[in-house]
Amino acid sequence: MTRKSIRIFALMAALALVAVACGDTAEAPPPETVVVTSIVTQIETVTETEVVTSVVTETETVTETVEVEVTVPVEVEVERENPLAGTTVTVFGPESSSTEAGAHQAALDIFAAQNGMTIQYTGHRGFSDLINAQAAGGNPPDIAVFPQPGKIADFAREGWLLPIPDDVLATMNENIGAAWNAFGNVDGVQYAIPTKADLKSLVWYRPADFAAAGYEIPTTWDDLKALTQQMIDDGNVPWCVGIESGSATGWAFTDWVEDLTLRYQGADFYDQWVDHSIPFNSPEMNAIWTEILDLWNIPGAVYAEGGTISSTFFGDNGRPLVEGDCMMHRQASFFSAFFPDGTPFGPEGVDVFYFPSVSGDRPVLGAGTLVAAFRDAPEVWAVMEYYATPQHADNRQRFQNLAQGGGAVLSGFLSPNLNANLDLYQPLEQSFLDILFTAEVVRFDGSDLMPAAVGSGSFWSEATSAVNGDKTVEEAIDAIEASWP
Amino acid sequence: MTMLSSSGGPGLGKRTYSLLRSIPTWVLWLLVVLWTIPSLGLFINSFRTRNAQRASGWWYVLVEDFSENLTLDNYVDILASGSQGGLWRALLNSLAIALPATVIPIAFAAFAAYAFAWIDFKGREWLFIATVSLLAIPAQMSLIPLLQLYSGGGHITLPFLEKTLTLFPDLDLAGRHVSVWLTHTGFALPFAIFLLHNYISGLPKDIFESAVIDGADHFKIFWRLVVPLSVPVLAAFAIFQFLWTYNDYLIAVTMLGGAGQNFPATARIAALSGEFGQAEHLLTAGAFLSTLLPIIVFFALQRFFVTGILAGSVKG
Amino acid sequence: MRGRKGDRSRNGHFRDADELDGRRRARRMIGVLAVLNFAINILMGSGVAAAAAVLIYRGGSTSTVRRAAAVSSGIVLGALTLWGVFTVEKLETTARGVVISILASALIFILANKLFDLPPSRWSLFTTLIGAGFALLVFALLWGNRAIDDPVLRTMVATLVGAVAGYLLGTVQHRWGRLVIGVGAGGLLGALATSGMRSVILVFELEQGAFELWPILPRLNYGVLAGATVGGAVIGLLLWQFRGRRNPPVRALLLGATLGFLVGGWLLPDLGTGTKANALVAGIGAGIGLGALLALKPIPDGSKRGRIEGSSRAYIFLIPALGFIATTLIIPTLRTLFLSFRDTRGQEYVGFLNYGDIFSSPNIFNLDGWTGIFGSKLFIVGALLLLIGVVVSIVVGRRSGYTIRFSPGTGGVSAIGVVLVAFAVFAALRGTIFNNLWWVFTVTVLSSSAGLAIAVLADRARWESLAKSLIFMPMAISFVGAGVIWRFMYLARDVSKPQTGVLNTVWVGIGNLSLSRGIGFFVAIILCLGLAILLGVLAVRAWRTGERTIGVGAAVSALPLIWFAYALWHGVGGFEVRENGDIVASTIQFVQKAPYNNMWLMLVLIWIQTGFTMVIFSAAIKAVPGDLLEAARVDGASESQTFWRVIIPQIYPTIGVVTTTLIVLVMKVFDIVKVMTNGNFGTQVIANEMWQRAFTELNFGLGSALAVVLFIAVLPILFMNIRRIQKAAV
Repeated sequence: MTRKSIRIFALMAALALVAVACGDTAEAPPPETVVVTSIVTQIETVTETEVVTSVVTETETVTETVEVEVTVPVEVEVERENPLAGTTVTVFGPESSSTEAGAHQAALDIFAAQNGMTIQYTGHRGFSDLINAQAAGGNPPDIAVFPQPGKIADFAREGWLLPIPDDVLATMNENIGAAWNAFGNVDGVQYAIPTKADLKSLVWYRPADFAAAGYEIPTTWDDLKALTQQMIDDGNVPWCVGIESGSATGWAFTDWVEDLTLRYQGADFYDQWVDHSIPFNSPEMNAIWTEILDLWNIPGAVYAEGGTISSTFFGDNGRPLVEGDCMMHRQASFFSAFFPDGTPFGPEGVDVFYFPSVSGDRPVLGAGTLVAAFRDAPEVWAVMEYYATPQHADNRQRFQNLAQGGGAVLSGFLSPNLNANLDLYQPLEQSFLDILFTAEVVRFDGSDLMPAAVGSGSFWSEATSAVNGDKTVEEAIDAIEASWP
Repeated sequence: MTMLSSSGGPGLGKRTYSLLRSIPTWVLWLLVVLWTIPSLGLFINSFRTRNAQRASGWWYVLVEDFSENLTLDNYVDILASGSQGGLWRALLNSLAIALPATVIPIAFAAFAAYAFAWIDFKGREWLFIATVSLLAIPAQMSLIPLLQLYSGGGHITLPFLEKTLTLFPDLDLAGRHVSVWLTHTGFALPFAIFLLHNYISGLPKDIFESAVIDGADHFKIFWRLVVPLSVPVLAAFAIFQFLWTYNDYLIAVTMLGGAGQNFPATARIAALSGEFGQAEHLLTAGAFLSTLLPIIVFFALQRFFVTGILAGSVKG
Repeated sequence: MRGRKGDRSRNGHFRDADELDGRRRARRMIGVLAVLNFAINILMGSGVAAAAAVLIYRGGSTSTVRRAAAVSSGIVLGALTLWGVFTVEKLETTARGVVISILASALIFILANKLFDLPPSRWSLFTTLIGAGFALLVFALLWGNRAIDDPVLRTMVATLVGAVAGYLLGTVQHRWGRLVIGVGAGGLLGALATSGMRSVILVFELEQGAFELWPILPRLNYGVLAGATVGGAVIGLLLWQFRGRRNPPVRALLLGATLGFLVGGWLLPDLGTGTKANALVAGIGAGIGLGALLALKPIPDGSKRGRIEGSSRAYIFLIPALGFIATTLIIPTLRTLFLSFRDTRGQEYVGFLNYGDIFSSPNIFNLDGWTGIFGSKLFIVGALLLLIGVVVSIVVGRRSGYTIRFSPGTGGVSAIGVVLVAFAVFAALRGTIFNNLWWVFTVTVLSSSAGLAIAVLADRARWESLAKSLIFMPMAISFVGAGVIWRFMYLARDVSKPQTGVLNTVWVGIGNLSLSRGIGFFVAIILCLGLAILLGVLAVRAWRTGERTIGVGAAVSALPLIWFAYALWHGVGGFEVRENGDIVASTIQFVQKAPYNNMWLMLVLIWIQTGFTMVIFSAAIKAVPGDLLEAARVDGASESQTFWRVIIPQIYPTIGVVTTTLIVLVMKVFDIVKVMTNGNFGTQVIANEMWQRAFTELNFGLGSALAVVLFIAVLPILFMNIRRIQKAAV
C-alpha cells in the first residue's frame, strides 16, 4: 500500500512540476527590433514588391522573408524617446481563425514595431458573450472589436466605454465616411471607429451558367422573382439557401428580412423598426417575412445541401453553387472564404450581382466591426488612431491577402477607409467597395443594432421556427415582439 | 445481457450453453465498436481535405483516391497557425491549468473528507450535507463575481459606518492561470469531498481504533493510513478532475479574457474555426490532438484504481 | 467593484517613503535571487527526473530493460522541464511562485497540525507559540499594510512580548497574577502598535494627482467612546442573562465592553484626522481589554486540553476546503439570490417578477400538450409493457409468497415500459424545464445502466482494459470536439447526394434495402427471423427447465427482431412516397426535428458519461469480496442470481453515488446544447437559458432567477440521495 502511495505521489509531484514548467506568461516582451510577429500560415514569398521586412514567429526566429510594399512606413529603428515605447495594449475581438486573427495581429504588429510597444490581439468566436462577462467582471481588454453597434450603445450607456478624444476623432473623420462613423455614435457621442466593412446585399452566381442558359442579371425584385420562376421552368434550381450556423442559427434569414425591409419600406421605416418605434409584428414586417418564405417555398426553388433550409450550414452553400446544384446564393462579401479551395472568382468563376432593389433606388445593407476603448491611456488612443488610418486598412488587407495564399485571391476583408489603397484589392473586391462607397443609403445589419435579447436571440430563433414551419409568420413575429426588452 | 449469461442448467444443451456463454463478449465488443465509431470518424476526417470532408462521408476514405483527399495539412495548419504560438503553446497552457487544478482540490478535499468521516465535532453531519448540496449550484453564475474578485479584489462596505474594508487584495489575477486554478478548485471541492468521503468513511473502523490505541494522532492517521488506503479513489478522482479541467472551456475563457497567449487548447481550437466557422475542418485535427493527452493519462492511471481498489475495502 | 482595473495596476502605484529605498535594496537582491532561481530550476528539473524514474522503476518487475527505461525517461523528462523553465519567458517567476506557495501551504498545514498536538502534553509551550504567533500575525498585517514605522523592530519586540505573555499565562496559576500579566501584555502590544502608527498609511497616486486612501489614526470623541463601551458592556450582560448565567458575569461584561471600546475607538470616529495620542488611547484600551479577557480564563485541565486538541483538528482539516468553497460558491450564490429579486442590471428591487416571468413564459414552462400524452404510440406501448411486467411479477410473486416480485426479466420489461411512458410524457410537455427533466431522467437511467452493463460484461473478459479504454475515450474529448464528432454522425444532406452523416447513411441504406427486394433484402429478413426463432426455442426450453427469467428475457429479445423483419417487408428506413407515387429517399433531421432531437442530444452526453459510470462501477464490482461470490457459487446460485442478489446489494452505495453525480451533472447540462443547437429547435435547457439571459443579454435578474430555480430543483433529489447513501453506509 505504501509503495503504491509513494508512486502516486511521485506521479503527482512530477505532473505538478511539469505544470509549473508550463506556467503562464503574463505579457510578451516588447520587440527589440522590428518584428512582425506571428503571421500565420506558411506565407509564400511574394516577389512583386521591394522592401524587406522579416516575419518572425513567437520564438523570434526568422523563418521567412516577406516583402512588403514601399508605401508601408516601416521604420527599422525604434525611436528611443517614443512615449509609447514599452507599453502594452490588449485587443479582443471576434475574428479568430488563423487567417483573420493572424492578419489582424500582423497589421497591429507593424504599428507596435514602429513604436516599440506591444499590441496583443486575442480573437474568439464567442466574443459577444465573453466581452459581456469581461466588462461586467471588471476585466475588459484595452480595446474591443465590436461586430454589433447595438452592443456599443449598450456598453456606452453603462459607462464602460470611453468617448473618443478629439485628435483621434479628427483622424477618423478624415478617413472614414460619415455614414459608417454613425454606427459608432451613441446619443451624439462618438465611441467607436469602423475598421472593417462587409457588404451584405449581394447575390453570388456563376456568369458561365447564366450565359449558357441565357439569363439576364435581374435589376428589380420583380425581375428576380421572374428569373426564379424561369429557372424552375427550365429545370434549374434557382437558390441555394441554408440558415444553420451553430449557436447563431437563423441569422442568414434575418439578412434577407433586413435587405427586403430596406427595399420595400425604405431607410426611415428601417430605422424605426430597428429602434422599435415600429413594432416588430407590424403588418409590413409580416408582408416581408411572407414574401421571403413564399419565394423559398415555391416547389423546386431552393436547393438545401443539408436536406432542409434550417439544417443547412450557411457555409455549405458554396460548394453546390460551384457544382451547379443551384444558380444563385444571396450572401455577404465575406462568403468568398466559404467556397471550395481553389474556386476562381470573377467573370470566369464565381461572381456577384447587386441584390436587386424594389423601386430603383440602391440601398445597401452592410455590416462590419468597430473598435472602442475601455482604458484611458495614450498608448490605447494611439492604437485607436492607428485603426482609423489608411495605413492600418492597407496593412490589414495586405496580410489578409497573404494569409489567404497571396496574389489574386479574395481576402475576405473590406475596409471602410475612404483613403485606403484600392490597388491592393482584386477587381471583384473593388466592385464591392464601389457599391459600398457609392450607395446613397447604407444601413447596418438590423439584428446587430437591436438589443441582444432580440438581435442575437429571438429574431434568430423565431426566424428558424418560421422557416422550419414550426410556427406561422404571425406567431413568430408576435413572439419576437413579446421578447423585446 | 447478464440474464443470458446465466448458466444453462441441466435442461439446456451443451452447445446452446456455450453459445450463450459467449454472448456477453459479443455484446461487449458490439458496444465498444458502436462507442468508437464516432471518434473513428473524427480521426479519419482529420486527415481529409476541407473539400473532401464536406463532399463525402469519412468512410469514403476506403474507396476514394488517397493522394487527392488525404493530407496532413490540417495538423500542420493547426500546429503552426495562430497569432499566439499555435496549438503547442495552448496544449502546454492546458497542462498548466489542469495539473494544479487537479492536485490542489485533491489535497484539500482529502483533508476535509477525512475530517467529515473520522473527526468528531459538533454539526458534522449537517455541515457535510450543506457542503455537498453546493454541488447543485450552477457554476456559471459564480463566474462574474469571481472575475470581479480576481480583477479588482474583494471589498466590503460596512453598513452604516461607511468604511470599506478590503477582504481580498487586488492581485491582478484575472488573465492568469492562477485565476483558473482557483476557480476550478472551488467548483470541484463539493464533488471531491462527496466522492472521497464516501470512500474514506467506508474504511474499516478497527484500523483507526488500533491506531489510536497506538497513540497516533489525526495527522499521523491521515498520512500513514488514510492516504495510502485511499489511493484508488484519489486516482479515480484525479483522472476525472483532470479531464474536466483539461476539457473545460467556459471557465478558462471567462477568467483569461483577452489574454489569448494563456488560452488552453479547448479555447484555442474553438477559436481556430473562425468567427463564422470558415475553418471548421481544422476542428477535427485539433480535437484529436487535444484528446491524445488525456487518453495517455487514463492509461497511466488506470491500473491504480483498477488493481488498487481490489485490495482496499470499499463501500462506495 | 466595477473600477477599471487598468487604473490601479498600470497607471497608479503605491508611493511610500521607504519604497525607493526598498527598490535599491531590491536591486541588490536580484543578484542573489538569480542564483537562487537557478538552483530552484535545477532542483525542479532533477525533481521531475527523479520522480519519473521512481515512478517507472517501482512500477513492477525490475528487469534491466525497465531500469534503463526508467532512468532514460527520467532524464528526458527532467531535461524537458529544464529546457522549458529556462527558455520560455516568465516561466521561472511563475514556477518559483507556484513552488513556494505550495511548499508554504504544506508547511503551514503541517505546522498547524504539530502545534495542536501540543495542548494535552505541553500546555505552556502551546500558549507560548500561540502568543508569539498571534502577535507576529497582527504586526505582520500592520507591516504589510505599511501602517507602522520601524516595522522590523516592532514586530520582533511584539513577538517576544507575545511569547513571554503566552508562556506566563500558560504556567502562572494565581488569579491576580494572571490578570496583571494579561493586562500588561495586552496594553504593551497595543501601545507598541499604535505608537508607531502613521497618520496616512497609503497614498494612492493617479495621473491626476494623489489622494489618500485608508487613513488610520482615529479622532477620538470620548463621549462616543464611553457610550460605545458602556453599550457593549450592557449588551454583554444581557446576553449573559439570556444564556442562563452560566459563567461569572465578569467575562461577559468585559467582552462586551472591549468590543464596544473597539467599535467606539476605531469604527465610529473619523479615521485619519486624529493624533497619535488618540491612537494610543484606542490601542492600549483595546489591548488591555483583550489581554484581561484571556487572563480571566483559568488554565484548562487535562480533559479540556484534549478537547481543544480534537476540535481544533477538525478545523485545520476543514478550513482550506471550506475557505475555497465559501469564496467560489457560497458568496457568489448569495449574490445570485440577491440579484434574482432585482431588475436586469441589479439596480432596483422587483420582487418575484423574474420568477413570475420564468413560469409564465411558454418557452420555459408549457403544459399545453398534456392531452397528447395518452394518444402517443410510445405511451401505449410503454404502458402495455409496464402492465405486462407488473402483472407477471405479481403472479410470480404470489406463487413464491410475496405480494410482488420482480425478476430480471419482468423487471427489465417494466423498466423499459417506464422509460417509454416517461418519453411520451416529456415529448408532449414542452419547454425548458421539462426538457431538463427529460435530460435528467434519460441520461441518468441510460448512462448508469449502460455503464453498469459494460462494467459487468467487461469484467474478466479478454482485453478488458482495451475495451474499457475505448468506452472511456469520449470522456477525454472536449465538448467542442464532441460537437464536431456528432455533427459527422447526425449530418443530413439533400437526398440527391450521397449522405455524409453516418446515421443518415444507415437510415437511407435501410430504406434502399427495404425497397430493393434483392438478395440483401431477403438475407436480412431471414437472418432476423432465424435469430428470433433461435431465441424463441431457447425461451421455450428455458421455461420448461424452470429458468423462467431467461425464458422471458429471450422471448422479449426476440420481439424487436420480428418487428424489424416485419417492418423491412413493409418498407422501413429513409424514403417517402410522394403523392404522385414517386418514391424518394428521405433523411432524418436528427438535430432539428423536435421533440426527439432532444434525445439525440442526450445520446451525446450518454456517450460521454458512460465512461465515467463504467469506471466507477467497474472498480466497485472488482471490490466485491471474492469469498462472498464463492459462497454464492457454492450455494448453487446462477450467475444472474449472483449478480442480482450479491453484487448489486454490495455496490448499492456506489449506485447511489453515481446516480447522484449524474443527476446533478445532467441537471446543469450546458455545453452540449450550447455547442449543438444553442437551444434552438425546442432543445433549450435551464443552464443554457440562464447563460443566454445573463451573459448574452446581460439580464442578470432573470439569469439569476433561473439559476436559483435550477438550484432549488436539484436540491431535494440531492438531499435525499445523500441521506440514503449515508444510511446505507452506516
